[in-house]
Order: sequence, then structure tokens, then C-alpha cells
Amino acid sequence: MDNESPLKAIMVVTATALVCSILVTVTAVSLQPIQRAYRDLERNRHIVGVSGLLEVTDDVPDRQIVMAFQGLDARLVDLDRGVFDDDVNPDTFDARKAASDPEFGVPIPAAQDIAALGRRSRLVTVYVVEDADGLQRIIFPVYGKGMWSMLSGFLALESDLNTIAGITFHEQGETAGIGDRILAPNWQARWRGRKLYDAQDTLRFRIAKAAVDPAAPDAAFEVDGLTGATVTADAVTNLVRYWFGPHGFAKFLDNYSAAGDTR
Amino acid sequence: MIRARDALLNPLIDENPVTLQVLGICSALAITNSLYSALVMSLALTSVLAYSNVVISMMRRHLPASVRIIVQMTVIASGVIIIDELLQAFAPETAKTLSVFVGLIITNCIVLGRAEAFAAHNRVGISFLDGIGNGMGYSLVLIAVAVIRELFGAGTLMGAEILPTVSNGGWFEPNAMLLLPPSAFFIIGFIIWGIRSWKPEQREQPDFAPLAADELRGD
Repeated sequence: MDNESPLKAIMVVTATALVCSILVTVTAVSLQPIQRAYRDLERNRHIVGVSGLLEVTDDVPDRQIVMAFQGLDARLVDLDRGVFDDDVNPDTFDARKAASDPEFGVPIPAAQDIAALGRRSRLVTVYVVEDADGLQRIIFPVYGKGMWSMLSGFLALESDLNTIAGITFHEQGETAGIGDRILAPNWQARWRGRKLYDAQDTLRFRIAKAAVDPAAPDAAFEVDGLTGATVTADAVTNLVRYWFGPHGFAKFLDNYSAAGDTR
Repeated sequence: MIRARDALLNPLIDENPVTLQVLGICSALAITNSLYSALVMSLALTSVLAYSNVVISMMRRHLPASVRIIVQMTVIASGVIIIDELLQAFAPETAKTLSVFVGLIITNCIVLGRAEAFAAHNRVGISFLDGIGNGMGYSLVLIAVAVIRELFGAGTLMGAEILPTVSNGGWFEPNAMLLLPPSAFFIIGFIIWGIRSWKPEQREQPDFAPLAADELRGD
């Protein structure tokens, strides 16, 4: 057939597209379980990092991370009722995916949707760290819209359920060199000891515009700002404020501290 | 008939895609701050080049001129996606370091350039060698730049300490500018200068002849 006939062009393009799409699909689908296992391990590394059980550096072997992670008590929290829900398996439940599921997902009222999520799952997995002395920390997932893409991480609270024990971000696409300074260990270290709520139970936490003056009345609730990264800093403030606000974990935290233990 | 040896070895210095044709500069700037990522990137680009040259050469008699480029891009893009997926599954740390630059191999001018200029007109075997050769030419520049940047920017090679830095109690004060992308621009510039001084036939003719002094005076 003549190479320049339109029919030949259509045939060549169709055949190429078909063969290439099959190759790409087969590769992507067959490698997905391996990629997912790695992503889970990477995420668990972050969770173990804020659990306080283990000093996590790049040298800590995967096996140790897996062991420490298995020592954590994964529980599902029902955000609307503010209690643990043990009917669903927390290890396989994916709250991000469940947000769009009609059974578990609920729309977020626009006025409260400061993290620009649209919907969230009714159930969310948290990780409870306990030892012989009782509750040590609870690790909460937090996520929201960042500068370019979804920004998500884990925030650990001390046993008073108000003092921040640690923050980590395991998924981010902030601007390299500017917004991605939220990953810097010395900046994340400044979160330790900050409080979310004041004595009147008002959510006061935020990332400041600049360095925090330690004498200021808000100093206990603020983390130093990141110069030039206003959008990222505001995104972090908003996602923390959403997840610890009335539509997030606030009800659960109230119940948990009132009862001492809701089990 | 192009000889196999030429197809393989000419792109190393005489027809180097980076220093002679100044192609593929973006990735050469971005990922040469460590030797390891430069090596992985070199390997990724060389395999894509070899693969795309072979496939496009096989299709060369059935490529209508009107849709030639888009078919070539589809072939290249599929190969790159497959390599990216493989890296994410088996070398996730590396995939993270190289981030978007693996995906950007699709737009690396060397790949489409060789497909269009060579593979579309030559037999499969020689196209394969041309792909490998050009990949090695690119790798050579990348590795040279990465060695300079990592050694003098961080005092290490492949992460192992070579020059003990002051912050680790040694004597070497690393030049942090070398770790930033613009430094690669200067290094590649010096390499091109060096090669063109050694092989003057690579020099480009000036687009315009400079005016002589008396012509500038006016009357």
C-alpha cells in the first residue's frame, strides 16, 4: 500500500497506539503491587518516625521499621461520632479512597473545607502508641491541598492530646527549594511542644508569617514561618486546622480526654 | 554504508550529542549533582535510545511522512513510561532522586533527534549501535560533569568520602555552588570550549561576519 495514503496513516497510527498502550498497561498493572508495597513501607517509615518508638534515619533497616510499625495499635476513628469504630479492619481501610465511596464518604460543608478536600471519609485510621505506663502518643493522618498537589503527612500528639509530639510529610509536591523546606528536620523539630488548643479549647495553632517571638502570647501555638513559602505554610496551617477542627478529630479528642479512654 | 564502529564511537567525541549538538542539556543540568543519579540517568537514556532506534528502524518503511513524528513520539513515550515504572518498582529511591527527569526523557531532544536523523533511514542493527553510541556520548558528558560537581561540591563520589570536608573534621571546604544547577552550565561550557579547541572543525561558523572598525565609523 502507498505509504502516503490516508488509510495507511490511520492504520499505522492505530496499530502503534494499540501495541504501545498494551505494553504500558501490562507493565503498570503487573508492577503495581511492588510499587504499592514500597509506598506503604515508605509511609510506615514516616509513621514510625513520629511515634517516638524509634529514631528513624535512612540507615534504619526496613525490617526494623516493619517490626516497629506492627507494634503500633492501628484503630479506626469514627469522626462524626467521635469514637473508635472496630467493625472495619484498619489495616486494609484506605480513608483517602473511601472519601469518594458513598458508603463511607461525606461531603465537607464549604465553610469548613479550609483544606480544599471536598469530601472525606467518615472513618480514619489513627495509630495509638502505648506502653506499660499507658498512652504515649496518638498519630493522626492529616492531608490537604498544597501549592501544587495533595500534601499529606502525620501529626503525633502527646498523651494530653494537645501538645504536638511530631510532624512528618510523606507525600508532597511543593516547590523545590522553597515550599519543600517543610521537610527539613530542623523545621519539623520546631513543632515539638507546640499546642493545638488553648485553655478555652479554641484551636489556635498556625504557622506564623515569620519567626515566632517567644514572648508573644501566641508563641505556644505557633511554628516559625518559612520565608517565601507563604502558600505552602498557609496550606499546612489549614490542613492542621481542618483535621483538628470540628469536622475533623475535635469530637474524638473531646470524648477521649473526657472519658480518659473510650474503649 | 555506515560502518558499525563509526556508529558506535563517533558520538563519543566527534559527534557528541551534548557538546557538538548541544542537545539534552536540561537533564544534564538537573541531575548531575551526584554521580549515582548521573549513572542511572545515563543508563535510562541509553536504553531508551537503543530501544527507540531499533523500533523506529523496524517501522521505517511503513512510516507515512505525515504522521511520522507522532508515531515516533508514541514509541518513545511508551518506552520511557515502562522504564519509569520499572525504576519506581525496583529502585524507588533512585526514582525519587531523578523525579520528573525520567519522564522528561520523552522530550529529550537526543532521542527524537536520533530517531528522525538516523533510525528512520538505516537498518536495525546499525540503528541499535547508533543508539548505544549516542547514549554513551551523553553518558560521558554527564559522568564528567557529575564527577566534578560531586567531588568539589560535596567532597564525595558515589556518596563515599574522597576529600574530607571541614564540617566532617577534614581540610576540604566544598564549593556549594557546584551542587546547584547553574554550575553544570559553566562546566558543560568549559567542556565544549575544551573540545572545540582540541578539534577546531567542531567550531560553528559565525552567523554574521563582525564589522571591521573602519566600516563602523560611518562615512
